[in-house]
Amino acid sequence: MVDAASNKPARAAAEFAPVRQTAAAPSAASPYRLATGGIVDRSAPLLFSFDGRNYGGLRGDTLASALLANGVRLVGRSFKYHRPRGILAAGSEEPNALVELREGARREPNTRATVAELYEGLAAVSQNRWPSLWFDCMAVNSLFSPIIGAGFYYKTFMWPASFWEKLYEPMIRRAAGLGRAAGMPDPDTYEKAFAHCDVLVIGSGPAGLMAALAAGRAGARVILCDEDFEFGGRLLAECRDIDGRPCAQWAGSLLAELASLPEVRMLKRTTVFGAYDHGVYAAIERVADHLATPSPHMPRQRVWNIVAKRTVLAAGAIERPLVFGNNDRPGVMLGGAVRAYLNRFAVKPGTRAVVFANNDDAVATLLDLAAAGISVQACVDPRGADAGVVRAAAQRIGTRFVNGAVVRARGGHRLRAVDVSAVAEPWHKLTFPCDLLAMSGGWSPSVHLSSHLGGRPQWSDALAAFVPGPLPRGMSVAGAAAGEFGLAACLAGGAKAGAEAAGDCGFAAKPVAMPGIGPEPIGIAALWRVRAKRGKAFVDFQNDVTVSDIELAEREGFRAVEHLKRYTTLGMATDQGKTANVNGLAIMAELTEKTIPATGATRFRPPYTPVAIGALAGHHRRKDFKPTRLTPGHAWAQEQGAVFMETGLWLRAQYFPQPGDNSWLDACNREVTATRNAVGVCDVSTLGKIDLQGTDAGLFLDRLYANAMSSLPVGRARYGLMLREDGFVLDDGTVSRLAEDHFFVTTTTANAARVMQHMDFCHQVLWPDLDVQFVSVSDQWAQYSLAGPKAREVLQKLVDGQHDISNTAFPYMAAGEVTVGGGVPARLFRISFSGELAYEISVPARFGDAVIRAVVAAGAPLGIRPYGLEALSVMRIEKGHVGGAEINGQTTARDLGLERMVSSKKDFIGRVMAGRPALLAPDRPAFVGFKSVGDGAIGAGAHFLPVGAEPSARNDEGHVTSVAYSPTLGHLVGLGLLKGGSKRLGEKMRAYDPLRGRDTLIEVCSPVFYDPEGARLRA
Amino acid sequence: MPDQALRQRAPLEALARPGRFGATSAAAGVMLSEIRDRGLASVAARKNQRAALLAAAKSAFGCGLPTRPRRAFGRDGLSFVWAGPDQWVAMLDHGPVGGIEPRLAASLKGLASVVDQSDGRAVVRIGGARARAALAKGMPIDLHERAFTPGDAALTFFSHINVHIWQVDETPTYEIAVPRSFVGSFWHWLTEASAEFGYEATGSNSSA
Amino acid sequence: MRIPCPYCGERGNAEYAYLGDAGVSRPQTPLGAALEGATLDAWMNYVYLRDNPAGAHRELWYHASGCRAWLIVTRNVSTHEILNVEAANGAIRDGRVGAL
Ligand SMILES: [Zn+2]
Repeated sequence: MVDAASNKPARAAAEFAPVRQTAAAPSAASPYRLATGGIVDRSAPLLFSFDGRNYGGLRGDTLASALLANGVRLVGRSFKYHRPRGILAAGSEEPNALVELREGARREPNTRATVAELYEGLAAVSQNRWPSLWFDCMAVNSLFSPIIGAGFYYKTFMWPASFWEKLYEPMIRRAAGLGRAAGMPDPDTYEKAFAHCDVLVIGSGPAGLMAALAAGRAGARVILCDEDFEFGGRLLAECRDIDGRPCAQWAGSLLAELASLPEVRMLKRTTVFGAYDHGVYAAIERVADHLATPSPHMPRQRVWNIVAKRTVLAAGAIERPLVFGNNDRPGVMLGGAVRAYLNRFAVKPGTRAVVFANNDDAVATLLDLAAAGISVQACVDPRGADAGVVRAAAQRIGTRFVNGAVVRARGGHRLRAVDVSAVAEPWHKLTFPCDLLAMSGGWSPSVHLSSHLGGRPQWSDALAAFVPGPLPRGMSVAGAAAGEFGLAACLAGGAKAGAEAAGDCGFAAKPVAMPGIGPEPIGIAALWRVRAKRGKAFVDFQNDVTVSDIELAEREGFRAVEHLKRYTTLGMATDQGKTANVNGLAIMAELTEKTIPATGATRFRPPYTPVAIGALAGHHRRKDFKPTRLTPGHAWAQEQGAVFMETGLWLRAQYFPQPGDNSWLDACNREVTATRNAVGVCDVSTLGKIDLQGTDAGLFLDRLYANAMSSLPVGRARYGLMLREDGFVLDDGTVSRLAEDHFFVTTTTANAARVMQHMDFCHQVLWPDLDVQFVSVSDQWAQYSLAGPKAREVLQKLVDGQHDISNTAFPYMAAGEVTVGGGVPARLFRISFSGELAYEISVPARFGDAVIRAVVAAGAPLGIRPYGLEALSVMRIEKGHVGGAEINGQTTARDLGLERMVSSKKDFIGRVMAGRPALLAPDRPAFVGFKSVGDGAIGAGAHFLPVGAEPSARNDEGHVTSVAYSPTLGHLVGLGLLKGGSKRLGEKMRAYDPLRGRDTLIEVCSPVFYDPEGARLRA
Repeated sequence: MPDQALRQRAPLEALARPGRFGATSAAAGVMLSEIRDRGLASVAARKNQRAALLAAAKSAFGCGLPTRPRRAFGRDGLSFVWAGPDQWVAMLDHGPVGGIEPRLAASLKGLASVVDQSDGRAVVRIGGARARAALAKGMPIDLHERAFTPGDAALTFFSHINVHIWQVDETPTYEIAVPRSFVGSFWHWLTEASAEFGYEATGSNSSA
Repeated sequence: MRIPCPYCGERGNAEYAYLGDAGVSRPQTPLGAALEGATLDAWMNYVYLRDNPAGAHRELWYHASGCRAWLIVTRNVSTHEILNVEAANGAIRDGRVGAL
């Protein structure tokens, strides 16, 4: 962030700037480049292009300075009126000079040329013009400006509504749009990083450097951030002496010391863009924006999350434009920017200049222009006697001083002259030919970050500026950002803030010796607009908001600052009104005859400057958006050609296709049939698994589940149903008792984390006195379901011989510990989701891969097939088990036909609220099965309608939750929630699905289609 | 039973290819490896048994269980890392499969619940001059030497994955326990974060 | 936001999950009691109704990416200032926060 502090000098005649050695001869390649001076590297020429033309620049240039060095003044067209625009500023506040940077997939619109660091081969094109920058058809908008003023969108295109989307908006967007996005995937990477420090210093101008030095010398961990690619802030842009040395050189020695301090981290090209609670700051580091393409393994940009115990905001100040007719002509530039181009970039932004300012800042501008050999035609200052130092400076360089104001700029694509009205002779217009107007309306402290947490900036009449109001805890403000205008004040303020911040963190700082600085008048008299009849007077350059727009808003009653903003779009462009807000507010104050504080102040919100969404996402995009969980058998499933699907974070096998399959359904049918007829194996490692121990573990589970668990014998498993406290079903799973005080619980894959959190809540918040300990073992165990009439036969080949797993020794719902493969510990559960004779076997995850291979090898002679989620789902529908589609957060145990599981003999979560009358209403949709008796397709989500009834919400009687083709039964089987539920068996209804255009007759039946007696699973 | 013995697979076996990766302009800033021969178990104090547990551990294993986020070393390659209030992760260097749980359970019976987690966590070791910088790209806690020293431990996350980290030495070297199913994503992000500094991966590393 | 976990130390809010008002306590209702009148009111209050004061508020937070402790955080919800943090189980056992 630029520190503007040193920028308020009004040099006493005796100590004016050091005499320049420059004769300011333009070099041949870049006609406006000074032969000496600046901090550009003349030994490192760079080629770049703008709008297809090639130019030369130097390392150390921005695109803006390089364009100016080549005499390019016209760089863009304005948003609404397509007016020609040039470069206004030299920093991130630039509203005009927005370009599309780079080409192809890396093309980036709305890049500010004033902060785009030049590199070899940089390619930029101007925006918002058609067909070319010099001849723009849309400039005709300017002629229609009376009808596209403030509130234009709101008034004109109100009716009919449908025209807005189809006609008006596309038209307006095309006519008024800014840059074009690349429209292609970004080939670069972005990343996020965390940082912690004692003292965060934001801005490396005189105040920031001193703050960092004071804190760094004390031993504090310091992070110094600056958005620029060089540290130093205004010290690089000004021609001042500190301790008898040029200020940029003085800054260099400070930077060298800072770099030598091990606990000082210096981040350049890094904008702190947001302040958050408790000392958290977000910053964006442009790691590789200054390169054509990032070096290998380097991100393009990095978002820092910085946790700071203390923060020193030394973000400097932003100069305000003056508001007069045609003040947007290319060549009208902020005075501080003119000095930055001269002193830092060694570029002449013009050949004949006029200086127009309401404050003593003009002194430095006059002297620097003269030293660069630019002829200054006039110095215009609306102040009378108060302008003494400016008048003296003008005299010293032989420039005419006019007490008055510039009323209008002349010229089209570039400034040709300015019309000046003198106070003494207002009737007599003076015209000064010039191609550069250096203007200054005063400086606005960069208070943005101080107000991100809600603190309103305070108005200072003396400074004619807002200064920071109540600060976020831990933040202090120093230098120009605090309204300390003047180099000496900045240095002292920064040192003090840095020392105090370090002190607060427990590091005693010694006072930093203050360098010698001469006197610095900083007088200002507010001038918010020049009243003139001719030419648009812009307040917000980027959004084309003029004084007339503010006047219109005032006339129409949009006077409050938030209304003004939204009605005129003042301050709503990508620059968030950095150069515009104060002027706009002050003009409204004038119009309403109120003070500025009474008119209001807009608070700022992050981000301080635009941040790419890609940078905020970091590495977390596409398949890396979130982590992926893989089961121990994943590699094996991949080898089998499994098609995977995402379930939560997990990848699970959906089905195992084979050559000749026409669709997934062929694979699914094959897997179901193999399981029903022989044996299938399915990876169920994704189930949530929780190990519970403790003397109260059974009691705890009783309170957690709707059914009793303390009565479960050791060595047995039980299906369990968990409710939420509001009485609806939360999750289902199994509970197995491994020992008197030791249980093993499974949850559904989807709800594992949620159930764990719920259990922690119940244990810690509701029943902290129970002796129960539990921990997730989801990742410890690989778990496979073996299902089918031959499941036991396969298992017997795997389980070590000493374990009897016969039907008698290990019956349905048995659970116990076994060993496999010669001593590998395993757990065996005889539970079934498919309705077949089935087991789930758990082995330590490191054996998960080997065991699935061993299972398949052992089962091969018996016709084993792996099955995926599709087959699993078909079999559970055939069997009438509820799944995620039925446990949808809106169903109770009763709705699902599971009321017999709900205990009336104990308290448990959800017990009371499940008994609410509305949840017991007989017409609540309840769980049923259905068969198709028509010939159309049916999908989940179809509505049950009585035959012959109008399709309407009133006639809606429920919906289809799950439906599948049953290869076992040879027809569709479906599950649903139907009013009245099982009382309606045998009824015919419509399954009506207007979304898919389906309407089929169904017959309500029991949800258990397959083996209703359960003989198979007990086999 | 097929004639071949069941082969064990380490979590990172297929992923952590040995070699030098990422930037090669300077010496590798980050060293990565997987510890494959360490037994892990969750230990949680039974209700009102905390004091008795601490005493029993002291006499049985030669170290107190840390009551703040630290790691304590006992006899015979056993160590305990704090893992939440009244909870620890016990670790046994060169632990045989399934060896840690019975060893602890025998001494702590009735005082603590012990659960084998040797397969539930991958333990990744990260060290080198730029290890902190690499970890800072995904881990929100402060690992600066003034804030986190050898023996310190923390439960936190790395790139959306909950992890358990403790510092081994001042190199600095850290060990990070990651739920096994997440280890692919974890490794991907960790190596992406390390690439800028250049990293050297060795397949496995001995636990001691 | 940074919340000091009494076990783990100060951590960013990304490690925590939020539940809300810690001032409600689970009503005790005997088995078979009718769900009406004061009983129903107590349950509706416990399950659905939450105070939303401007200013200091006691809230339940879960250190989901840390030690898995449920915490009672006293926070000024207008300024986000954290006034106090304690483990929920201790606070509840000591009767400072209602539950069961
Ligand atoms: Zn914690």
